[in-house]
Amino acid sequence: MAILEINHVSRYFGGLAANWDVSFEVPEGTIVGLIGPNGAGKTTLFNCITGYYRPSKGEIVFQGRRMNGLKPDKVCKLGMARTWQKVRPLTNLSVLDNAVVGALCRTNSVREAREIAHEQLRVVHLDGRAGLRAGALPIGERKRLELARVLATKPRLLLIDEAMGGLNAAESEEIIRLILEIKDQGLTQIVIEHDMKAIMRLSDRIVVLNSGEKLAEGTPQEIVANPQVIEAYLGVEQ
Amino acid sequence: MAIFEQALVSGILIGGVYALIGIGLTIIFGVMRVINFAHGDLLMVGMYLTYYIFTILHIDPFLSIAITIPLMFLFGAFLQKFFINRVLNALPQNQILLTIGLGLIMSNTVMLAFTSDYKILTTKYSSSSVTILGISISSPLVISFAITVAISLALTWFLRETNTGQAIRATAQDREAATLMGINVKRMSIIAFGLGSALAGTAGALIAPTYYIFPQVGSIFTLKAFVITVLGGLGSVSGAMIGGVLIGVAESVGGAYLGSGWKEVITFVLFLLVLLLKPSGLRGKSQT
Amino acid sequence: MTPAADAGKGTHYVPLALITLSIGVLLMVPLFVESTYLLHMMILIFINVIIGSAWNILGGYTGQYSVGHAAYFGVGAYTTMILLQYRQIAPWYGIWAGAVVALMTALIIGSICFRLRGSYFVLASIAVAEIFRVSALNLKAITNGAEGILITEIPPLTIGGTLITDWESKIPFYYTGLIFALVSITVSWLVLRSKLGYCFQAIREDQDAAHSLGINPTLYKNAALAISAIFTALAGGLYGAYVGFIDPSTVLGLEKSIQIVVVCIIGGVGTIFGPVLGAALLVPLSEALRSNVITDLLIKAGLVRAESPVGVFLKENLAHAHVLIYGILVVIVILFMPEGVLGFFRKMATRRGSRGSGVGGRRKGKDLAVTSDSEPSTHDPKPATLDSHPATPNSDPRPPTPDSRG
Repeated sequence: MAILEINHVSRYFGGLAANWDVSFEVPEGTIVGLIGPNGAGKTTLFNCITGYYRPSKGEIVFQGRRMNGLKPDKVCKLGMARTWQKVRPLTNLSVLDNAVVGALCRTNSVREAREIAHEQLRVVHLDGRAGLRAGALPIGERKRLELARVLATKPRLLLIDEAMGGLNAAESEEIIRLILEIKDQGLTQIVIEHDMKAIMRLSDRIVVLNSGEKLAEGTPQEIVANPQVIEAYLGVEQ
Repeated sequence: MAIFEQALVSGILIGGVYALIGIGLTIIFGVMRVINFAHGDLLMVGMYLTYYIFTILHIDPFLSIAITIPLMFLFGAFLQKFFINRVLNALPQNQILLTIGLGLIMSNTVMLAFTSDYKILTTKYSSSSVTILGISISSPLVISFAITVAISLALTWFLRETNTGQAIRATAQDREAATLMGINVKRMSIIAFGLGSALAGTAGALIAPTYYIFPQVGSIFTLKAFVITVLGGLGSVSGAMIGGVLIGVAESVGGAYLGSGWKEVITFVLFLLVLLLKPSGLRGKSQT
Repeated sequence: MTPAADAGKGTHYVPLALITLSIGVLLMVPLFVESTYLLHMMILIFINVIIGSAWNILGGYTGQYSVGHAAYFGVGAYTTMILLQYRQIAPWYGIWAGAVVALMTALIIGSICFRLRGSYFVLASIAVAEIFRVSALNLKAITNGAEGILITEIPPLTIGGTLITDWESKIPFYYTGLIFALVSITVSWLVLRSKLGYCFQAIREDQDAAHSLGINPTLYKNAALAISAIFTALAGGLYGAYVGFIDPSTVLGLEKSIQIVVVCIIGGVGTIFGPVLGAALLVPLSEALRSNVITDLLIKAGLVRAESPVGVFLKENLAHAHVLIYGILVVIVILFMPEGVLGFFRKMATRRGSRGSGVGGRRKGKDLAVTSDSEPSTHDPKPATLDSHPATPNSDPRPPTPDSRG
C-alpha cells in the first residue's frame, strides 16, 4: 500500500522547471532514497510535498488524500513531517523545549508534550542535554535534535533532507542507526542523501532525479547498475 | 483643470528632492542591508546647517551645498564607523531601533541647542515664481529640481564609471563575493553611509528655503523616504528616482483635492499597498 | 527528570516569597506614604508595566517588533475618553469598549502587516500608527482634533449603593493601576508556560521551521497581537482617565510607540520581569528629568552653580531632554546590552558561575523565556535564513531554504 503518491508533479519557477513530470510511489513502512546531482530538484520536491510550494502540475496524494495547496502546518498535522537541509534549531530555546514544540502538534497539554519530548530525546540519545540551549549544540547533536523534534510530531511519513551533511563517519553512523530504528517502529521515510554508502544501506527503493526529471527508479542494486544513472552521476560508488 | 496641472508640476519638482532622499536611503540599504530610520534626521541636520551658514556666513543655500555635502558625508561616515558598524550582524529589529535611537539623539540635541521654534530661511527669491506654459511654479523649486538632476547624473556617473562606485555596487549585490574580490566592504559601508547622509543633507539644504525648519521635521521625511525606496525597490537607485517623483506627484495632487491634512495619509496608504501588492517595488525582482 | 528541571523546582520558592512580599508592600504604600508625587510616579510605572508586558508578548515572545503600538494605546485612550466626555459612560466600562475596539483594529492590522517580516513589519507597523494619528488629527468631529479631549470629571464609583471612590485623590488610580499591572504580569507568565508561549517563541526563533511543526504562523501571530493590543488599550484607557487629557501626538505619536518598545527592551526582551524593571527605571528617570530634580540635585551637590551658564542651561532644558535620554538609552542598550538590564546581569552571573564549563548556558528556572548565551559570539541570534534579511519582504512564496534547488 502506497502511503504517498507523487503523480506527474511539476514545479516551475518562471521558465525553469525545477521538477518535471515526476511520478513515483512510496510503499508504507519502507525507506525510499531520493538521490541526484545538485540542482536535480530533490529539495524542491520536498517543498512541494510538504506544502511550501504548490505543484504547478500534478498531484501529491498522502494516505489517499490530495495534498496540493495544503499549508505546511496542515501537512504536519496530517502526519507528514520533514527535516531541513540546513539544520534549523529553535536556537534560544532549550533542547527539551525544541522537542516540546514538536510534541505540541499533537496535544494541547504542555505536561504531556514534555513527556513525549523526553521520550524522543531518549530515542536520539539527547536526554542528557535536555536543559541546554539548542544554539550551544554542535552540528551532529543539532541534527539529532531535529530528528527528535520531528518525531515528537508523531508522523506517519518522515522526509529527511541530507541528514548526514557535514557529519563525520561516527556521527553519520549514528544517524543511519536512528533512521533504521525509526523504520522498525513502522514509520515510512523518504531520505535525500549524497552519501551513497548510506543510501545503499538504508533504502528499500531508490528514486533518481536529474535536472528536475525522474531518471530512474528501482532497488539499490538495479540503480547502481543502471548506465544512465552512472552517466548522470559520474562516480557512483558500489 | 489648472489645479491639476499646477499640482502635477509642483509634485514633479518636489519629487526630485524626494528622490534624493530616497536614493540616499536605498544606497545605505543596498550596501549594508540596514534600514536607516535616522535618515530624515540627517535631512534635518542638513537643513539646520544650511540655515546657519546662511544666517551667519550669508551664503546662499543653493551655493552652500558645496560645504554641506562634504560635512554631511563626514558626519555619516562617523555614524557608520562608530555606531552602525556594530550592528551589521544583529537582528534587523535591533538595527532599526539603533537608528531610531540615533535619530532621537540628533533631533533632540538640535532641539536643546536651537529650541523648537520654527525657523524660516528667506532668500530674495524664496517667494518668487516663474510662469511656464501658463503654470506658475515656485522659483526655488525649479532651482532645486535642476540641482537634483545634476546630482543624480553625477551620482549615476560615479556609480557606473568609477572604481569606487563599481565597488559599492558590487558590495550591494553580494557582500561576500565582493570581499573575495578584494573589496574592503567595511570601507564601502562607510562610504555608502556617508553618501546617503550627504544626499539626505543636500535634500535638506534644497528644501530649506521653502519649508519650516524645526527639529522634528525629520520624522516626516524618514517615513516618506521609506515609501519612496520600497516603491522603487530597495537597493535600486533608478527606482528611488521614479519613486520620488511618483510620491511627489501623488502627494501634491492628492493634497490639492483632499486638503493638506490628509496628505500624509496618502503616503502611508500607498506604502501599505506597495508592501502588500508588490513588495519588491517597481525595479526590484518579482516573486515567481 | 533531568537535572535542569530539578534545579528549576528549588528556585521557585525564592521568587515566590519575594513576589508575595513585594505585592504586600505595594498594597500598603498608599496607607503610609503621604507624597502624592510618589503615588503619581507609581501610577505611571504601573501603566508602563502594562504596556511593556503587553508589547513583550508580541515583540519579546513572538519576535514581531511593532514600533506602532501607540495605535492600540491611542485607540484605548480615545474610546475611553470619548465615551466618558461625550456620552457620560464611566471609564470602568469605557476601557473595555476601548479594548474591544483595539482588538478589532489589531486583527485588521495583523491581516495586513503579518504578511511582512523583519524590518518590513516594523515599517508597516509604524505606517499604520501614523495613519491612526493623522486620522485622529483630521476627524475633528469625533476626536476634537489637535485640541484633544479634556475630561471634566469622572463619575463616582458606587457598588450597591456604597460609595467606593470619587476619584478625587490619586489613591484609587494607584490601586487600579496596581491591579491591572499585576494582571498583565500574570497573563504574561501564564502565556509563557502555555502552548501559546511555546508556539509564539517557535515563531520567533524560526517561523518556517515552526510552520513545518504544525504551527500556523498567521493564527498565532494574530493571537499574540490580540492579547498585546487588548492590554495596551486598557493601559491607554487608564492613562486617559488618570491624566485627564489626551491628544493625537501624546497617545498616538511615534514617540509613544518608541517609549513602549524602550520600556521592554531596557528591562529585557522576552522575560516576564524585564518590562517591570524597564518601567521602574524609565519612569523615575523621565520624571526626574521633567521636574528638574536632577538639575536641583546637581546644584545642591555643588557640582554646578545655579547662576553659571551650565546651570541655567540645565535648568531650562533638561526638563525637555527626556526624549533625548530615551534615544541615548536605546543606543546604549542596543550596542552594549541587547538583552536588556536583566539579560546583562544574568550574563554576568552565568559567566561567573560557569567559568570553564565551555559549552552552553543552563536555563535558570522555568519562568525565563530566553536563556543566556555563554558562547563568545554575538548577543543576538545570528539570522540563519532568509527571514531576517529579506531583500523582498513577503513571507509566503519564497522558498524556506536558500539552497532549495538541491
